[in-house]
Amino acid sequence: MPINCKSQCGNRATLKRPKTGDALCKECFFAAFEAEIHHTISSSNLFRRGEKVAVAASGGKDSTVLAHVLKLLNERHDYGLELVLLSIDEGITGYRDDSLETVKQNRDDYQMPLKILSYEELYGWTMDRIVGQIGRSNNCTFCGVFRRQALDRGAKLLGVDSIATGHNADDIAETVLMNVLRGDTARLRRCTDIRTGGGEDSIPRVKPLKYSYEKEIVMYAHYKKLVYFSTECVFAPNAYRGHARAFLKDLEKVRPSVIMDIIYSGEQLRFKDTVKKPVRGICTRCGFVSSQQPCKACVLLEGLNRGLPKLGIGKKSKGERMIAKQDQELALRERANLVKNDF
Amino acid sequence: MCSIGEDDFGDEGAAHAMVAESLPSGIVLSPGDCNKCGVTSSELYKLNFRTAECRDCFLAYARHKFRAALGAAKILPRNAEVLLVLDGSAESLVLLDMLHFAQTQNTFKRLHCNARVVYVEDQQVQGRDPVDIEELRNLSTQYEPFEFHMIKLGSLPNSLQRIKDYNTSPNKTNELDQKLHKLRSLTARQDYLQQQRKNLVASVAQELQCTHVFEPSISVDLATQLLTAIALGRGGSAALDVALLDDRLAGDVKLLRPLKDLNEQEIQFYIHAQRLKPLIQSGSRYGQERGQTASLQNLTTAFVANLQQNYASTVSTVFRTGDKIAVNAHPEQTSCVHCQSSLDSTLSDTLLAIEYSRSVSEAGVGLYKNGEDLEGLAKKRLQSEDGLCHACRGIQAELESGKFLVLTSGWSGK
Repeated sequence: MPINCKSQCGNRATLKRPKTGDALCKECFFAAFEAEIHHTISSSNLFRRGEKVAVAASGGKDSTVLAHVLKLLNERHDYGLELVLLSIDEGITGYRDDSLETVKQNRDDYQMPLKILSYEELYGWTMDRIVGQIGRSNNCTFCGVFRRQALDRGAKLLGVDSIATGHNADDIAETVLMNVLRGDTARLRRCTDIRTGGGEDSIPRVKPLKYSYEKEIVMYAHYKKLVYFSTECVFAPNAYRGHARAFLKDLEKVRPSVIMDIIYSGEQLRFKDTVKKPVRGICTRCGFVSSQQPCKACVLLEGLNRGLPKLGIGKKSKGERMIAKQDQELALRERANLVKNDF
Repeated sequence: MCSIGEDDFGDEGAAHAMVAESLPSGIVLSPGDCNKCGVTSSELYKLNFRTAECRDCFLAYARHKFRAALGAAKILPRNAEVLLVLDGSAESLVLLDMLHFAQTQNTFKRLHCNARVVYVEDQQVQGRDPVDIEELRNLSTQYEPFEFHMIKLGSLPNSLQRIKDYNTSPNKTNELDQKLHKLRSLTARQDYLQQQRKNLVASVAQELQCTHVFEPSISVDLATQLLTAIALGRGGSAALDVALLDDRLAGDVKLLRPLKDLNEQEIQFYIHAQRLKPLIQSGSRYGQERGQTASLQNLTTAFVANLQQNYASTVSTVFRTGDKIAVNAHPEQTSCVHCQSSLDSTLSDTLLAIEYSRSVSEAGVGLYKNGEDLEGLAKKRLQSEDGLCHACRGIQAELESGKFLVLTSGWSGK
């Protein structure tokens, strides 16, 4: 028996909303999906009229849907925003070069200016070369740390007021679980925030898709026939995050509301006064936001340039010992050269 | 035919159904010298991250963990009346044995408290054979002078009986059993049952004039409990679910978890060293036989166990995370009528987003035409005065009809 749309619009239902379990027709699903994002934006005051907003675009489903919906809502509800696309080229052959083509397609489709920044021009290294140095393990650390800073650099360059990222509800719930598994209280405190950063010296990041389910984003992109890139990164996926992800997917099968429940739990967590809080500051070397001195990006880059790629991986003391050892060897070699020259 | 749980025989075969061997791995049975006291012993106990030691040194170490948990927090007043909850599991027997030992020492070292034991009979709810009363009676003789009591889960606190006078009442279905059957999912049933169990223990404690309750949860239980609480949307109160002291029980009864620093290996070794015989196998809690994918709780238990095999510090890291969190509450806040956790004083954006989703799904394309105040509607739904927290509303929503969360029996609410 055909099922009618829950909203009693008279149409037949074509899909079951993963988030609420309601049977809806395509049009009602679009309306509900867009209205929720509008509600998130307006109730959290994510943007102000006249602001310039960079949409962090990778060409994947989340950022494509984000760019599409932001453009649509900006026109429908007259937010008065200037939207631009910002992409980072990590230099991963067979992955990012293809996905950037999709972003260029988005640029043409949505009539938004696009800025592409590459690791090559920012750091002098592409991910292909970094993987050549470090191997298949830990390479995601480099990519993640550099991308985070690259977005900040790009935003500064474009002079935007905020960066909108495509993090969806699943991503946030997964991060809550992962941070509990890792005991990372500093990240646990802030990973559920809809807006992070922002202050005198940094550009805020906002997550308009915070309450959108990944499954619904895929459905929306599918039924709207949006062009997006869906290949996994060619380098090994982050194994530990993979466990949290698989666990969340299993939980979602048992009870779909679990994603929102985990986000809610994450927001409700409070910490004892004895737990150390990270202090956000500015890296003395590069001048970008960091809670460490020097920032992780600078340490990783130093490691690459010194030929010690493992420098920023693992304990800080271990890295310091590696530097000391290398300096000592250099000094020895220099002295040996001096001795030779004497003769 | 019900097929839930059948998939579990896919990847790992029936590994989860296997019973652990009676002798825990790691015990060196060949004679050797204890690294601690130097005495030659026929059995050496080698815990992870510790050198091999003799039986006496191991027992002193394990018992110290129990005493230290209570002592460091200065949480148990002198001569407190304590109720120990026995469920027949290995952990509960270890707790019983440790408490008994702590009381039999000389005045200087003795733990000054008066203990009673209650066995919560849940076999009927679980659909299993009744417990062997004789074994319980043997335990009560072994651990004299502790008084042993027995109560059926779901019955009134005044039906509490001394174990020596206990006679099995005819099997009539009780109210709790019926309520459980009305809940659609196993997730809600397990969540509900856990709360009801706590309520029953609290009222038994009041009946016996006990101010403190000892619960035999060990570190792996608490790590699982923390993740489960987060998955159920109980993040605000998760800290109390895993803390040494939980004060949410009725009648100002305080729940203590003195075994929280012990791990599974230590429990197994203790059981072996003291020749204790658990009455139930581990992993036989309500609904666990239905397999990993049957509920959020089962899934979390399996996840923690699997992860622990590949990443040996998983349990301790999650457990330490639990140590760092605090309860999200203000003194003036009202509590949930079911689980006694603090209710949200401010409106949560996430909860509003959940309600808003329901409203827009109902409105569909009409949401722009009719000009309805959907946000107002969502807020109204969220602020309905049922006195329940978000997670308990989740249980309530699964019940087709009627209010159930405040059960009349088993919960005195004094």
